[in-house]
Amino acid sequence: MLTINNLSKRFGKVVAVNGMSLRVGRGETIVLMGPSGCGKSTTIRMINRLIEPDAGRIIFAGHDIISLGDEALRHTRKRIGFVFQQFNLIGRLTALENVMLGLVMGGMVKEAAYEKALSAMEKVGLVKFRDQKPSELSGGQQQRVGIARALAFEPELMLWDEPTASLDPMLVREVLVVMEELAKYRASTMLVVTHELPFALHVADRIVLMDKGQVVEEGIPAKVFVKPASDIGQRYKELIEYQMNTSALTLAGQRIA
Amino acid sequence: MKFIKRLLRDSFERDIVILMIVSIFVGSMLASSVSLTANAYFSKTLANIVGDYGEFDLIISVREEMKDDAVIQIQKIIDDAFPGAKLKEGPTLTGKTSFFVALPDQYKTKKIYEDLGKTFGSIPGGAGIGFMTEPRITVRGVPDGAKNMLMDNIAQMEGVRFAFRDGGSIGVLLTSLDKATAVNSAVQHLLKQYQVIEISFPVGSEPSNPIRLGETIADDMRQELKLNFAQNVSIDGKNDDMTYAVSTMMELRRFLGAYASEVTVTPAQGIVLHKGDQAIFQGAASDVPSAGQAVVQGNVVVEITEIGADGKGRGVITHGDAGQLMASAGYRLEKNLIGEPIGTVSYRNPRRELGNALNETSKLVAQIPGFAQDARNISNIGLGVLDNYNSGMAAIEKTLGDVQSAGNIIQTSTAGLADIDTSSLQSQIDSSSRAMGGLIGTLEVLKLVQADTGGPLESLSLTQRNLNNLKSTLAALDSAAANARKARLAIDQVVASANSTMGTLRAFDSNGARSSLTDTNNRLDELSKINVPLVTTQLGYMAAAAPNLKDEDISHTVQILDKFIAGQVIPGERIQILTTSNINTNAVAPIIFRQVGHENVALYSTALGVIEPNARGELYRVLGEVKAILAGLTAIVVTAVFLVFDHTAVMSVMRRRRKVGVVKKTGYLAALKRFVTGLAVAEKKYGMAVGAIMLTAMFIFAGGGIPYLPWIGVPVLGAFIGLVIAGACEKISPVAAEEVVAGEALGMSFDEIMREIVIPASRPGLFQKLNIRKMKFR
Ligand SMILES: Nc1ncnc2c1ncn2[C@@H]1O[C@H](COP(=O)(O)OP(=O)(O)OP(=O)(O)O)[C@@H](O)[C@H]1O
Ligand SMILES: [Mg+2]
Repeated sequence: MLTINNLSKRFGKVVAVNGMSLRVGRGETIVLMGPSGCGKSTTIRMINRLIEPDAGRIIFAGHDIISLGDEALRHTRKRIGFVFQQFNLIGRLTALENVMLGLVMGGMVKEAAYEKALSAMEKVGLVKFRDQKPSELSGGQQQRVGIARALAFEPELMLWDEPTASLDPMLVREVLVVMEELAKYRASTMLVVTHELPFALHVADRIVLMDKGQVVEEGIPAKVFVKPASDIGQRYKELIEYQMNTSALTLAGQRIA
Repeated sequence: MKFIKRLLRDSFERDIVILMIVSIFVGSMLASSVSLTANAYFSKTLANIVGDYGEFDLIISVREEMKDDAVIQIQKIIDDAFPGAKLKEGPTLTGKTSFFVALPDQYKTKKIYEDLGKTFGSIPGGAGIGFMTEPRITVRGVPDGAKNMLMDNIAQMEGVRFAFRDGGSIGVLLTSLDKATAVNSAVQHLLKQYQVIEISFPVGSEPSNPIRLGETIADDMRQELKLNFAQNVSIDGKNDDMTYAVSTMMELRRFLGAYASEVTVTPAQGIVLHKGDQAIFQGAASDVPSAGQAVVQGNVVVEITEIGADGKGRGVITHGDAGQLMASAGYRLEKNLIGEPIGTVSYRNPRRELGNALNETSKLVAQIPGFAQDARNISNIGLGVLDNYNSGMAAIEKTLGDVQSAGNIIQTSTAGLADIDTSSLQSQIDSSSRAMGGLIGTLEVLKLVQADTGGPLESLSLTQRNLNNLKSTLAALDSAAANARKARLAIDQVVASANSTMGTLRAFDSNGARSSLTDTNNRLDELSKINVPLVTTQLGYMAAAAPNLKDEDISHTVQILDKFIAGQVIPGERIQILTTSNINTNAVAPIIFRQVGHENVALYSTALGVIEPNARGELYRVLGEVKAILAGLTAIVVTAVFLVFDHTAVMSVMRRRRKVGVVKKTGYLAALKRFVTGLAVAEKKYGMAVGAIMLTAMFIFAGGGIPYLPWIGVPVLGAFIGLVIAGACEKISPVAAEEVVAGEALGMSFDEIMREIVIPASRPGLFQKLNIRKMKFR
């Protein structure tokens, strides 16, 4: 589905990503974690070339992303949903229009796009807010619109760049619920950058830990967080134990550590 | 290439091009209307008073009370001479009504303009005609005679349609207003190359013939000062022939006047004479005039022309001739009837004096061969003596005696010759000859005036030629006498000093004396060749003919001449000489004083002409400038506004795209490099190009113009405005980067992102309005 090979990116002297490699299978949900500045966002943005890689290969559904021309790239981007930390909604458009935008631009007639957008809004439970402008919605609602916008394409791959990081803790849940639902039906492959440990533990098929632009460890959550092989993994394990001691950490009624 | 391809498609680049075209159109309209509004406001105020600039060509002022008749007449003239011309009544000021006439273009010619005075001459109550055609400049103060030269030169200039006489000035019509400055300075330059030297005569010392005097002075200036150009411009050169005819007549009149008898009437007791009084004398009539009777054949009539301080009247004979004045008693003549006794008459007849002089001359001429022979003999003796003188110093003593006696002989025998005052004889002959020339002229004119006064013109001319021969022969005689005197003096000297010193004797230039004497002989030979009988006959004839010219003929002719001359305007108080400006009046003064004959004249140099400030033209030129400035300023403001409202968003996007991935370097060298390369970054290049194109186009379309801003400065200024705005683009129109990224992530193209995301979110301007057509989500 997605193969990343030896991907690198530097910004001037800063090496953001340094020979990163990763394989993602169809329908998999991968959670990408790592300390701040380790290159997660850069990596995930290079997959649909919002950032141009310096070196390496990205094969998506059999296509070499990096060698794609303008037209083909735009076409490929429509197959990859992207959810932003800052929601990145178009302020002048209503919630529904935000969702429709990509579809209409992709050449779909407005009526069909409307239907599609409406069903995407339904999935995130926002139909009745469809005519609201982003500024009239709460952060959680805005992010759900962002998710609906990505979903509307019925993308084969969804990229999430810390979708809950800008949210009020009280609003995080409604977004996570939507994400969990999506992962459950495995409609699309998901590559999620998040610091939500419960989500990682509970929903991820695989955890990938990054540091200094490289993958340092990967594996099923139980392995990575229980018997970590890397320093970073060890630090996540300690973080989980700390959280467990301060408040019983359960997810979906089950104690995990 | 790629850009052009994109332009042909429905691309965002094409949106920008369309936007710029619309911006330029809107901006030009705005700039034009602002400037036109201001211009219209000001020119309306002006036009109310004097009509639109260049709208009318003529202004005809007529007396207010005649204006109804005048307008009919003007309309008639226009219909006849200038079909298609427009007539409009203008304001009435101080009792005069103005009519404005606009002439169709084909009637704007030099000839028509110069004849306009005549063309409209018949208008009742006509008070004057003036020119209003614009653009035009006027050169004032040009002397009449220099006008043609100046007009010819000006007509050659670039931007001049034609030059014409406008009363005392020269009007110059231009092809267009923007040529005014160039033509102005070209005319200025031309005027500077010349000066007019004015010779002013105080009242009473006016020259009798200013035309001839002016010509002579100009000729002398050319010859003596080696000037390329000196011309009498006191009178209009176009009337050359007439002027010279008048000049000749004046000369003739002067000559005739000089030979008219001068009659003096001494008033009788109790009689007061007045100018214009007529007196009658018996003359050749058989009877003494008696009161109540009419003038009869033979009477002499005198008209008093001048009253002297002593009360005596001086006058001319209008009937008869001075030769007939026998009895001196005169009577008043009133309405052709004889009245009371008026006084006595005396006269001087210059013609008789001339006759006498001629008689004297002929007598002298008869003696010339005798003188010549005497002189010849004597000089031969002298030569012989000189031959002996040379034989040797030993013979000196003896020779001395001979010389002495020879000297004595010379002395005695040349005395007669030396006493002849040949110079007075020569001047006599000279003046006789000149007088004869005058007479010939007079007779010629008389022949014109009165066919029967033919006279023996031909023989007079012949006589004059002979007289001239005689004059040159007399000159020979003169030098013969002089040489004789010289020889004699030499001998006297020799003799006087011989006894005291031999040195003086040796110093005696015998060869010099000999050659003097030989010379004398040669001249005497010539003198003896005079055809004495012929000359004397001719002189005698002349002497007899001169007095035959009658006083009445003279005064009659003078009257005819006066009548003619009086009709001609010849300024006498001032002579104007046009010359190049490189000569000083001081250098010319000696020539002028010599020709005028006295120094009682004022000399000054004046300009050939001055360009009259054309107040209305200036006003309109300034208005035009204001209009252009307003258009220019509006264009600048509009360009800035359009850049700010329409293009900052585009520039911000360019800046964003450029910034992605660029890390700032520090250090002042890097800062310098950033500044230089900074000018070439996308959004600044874009801003400069858009600014330059828009401002330049608007300047062109709206007719903008800013003083001291050269044309190349316009795109530069536009680019500068663009650059400044590009520098602040993100502050003016911040671009929501995350929205752009979202668009990219959604697979939207650059065009789509600009049209759907960036432009709708940017500042509300023309671009946003135009963009609405292109938006899928409105
Ligand atoms: N546009 C950019 N220009 C310059 N440096 C950048 C840019 N984007 C990222 N970086 C740098 O690259 C490195 C990796 O950044 P990145 O955003 O990928 O980290 P991250 O893992 O997403 O961190 P975080 O958890 O804080 O989001 C960082 O040091 C960051 O400062
Ligand atoms: Mg990040």
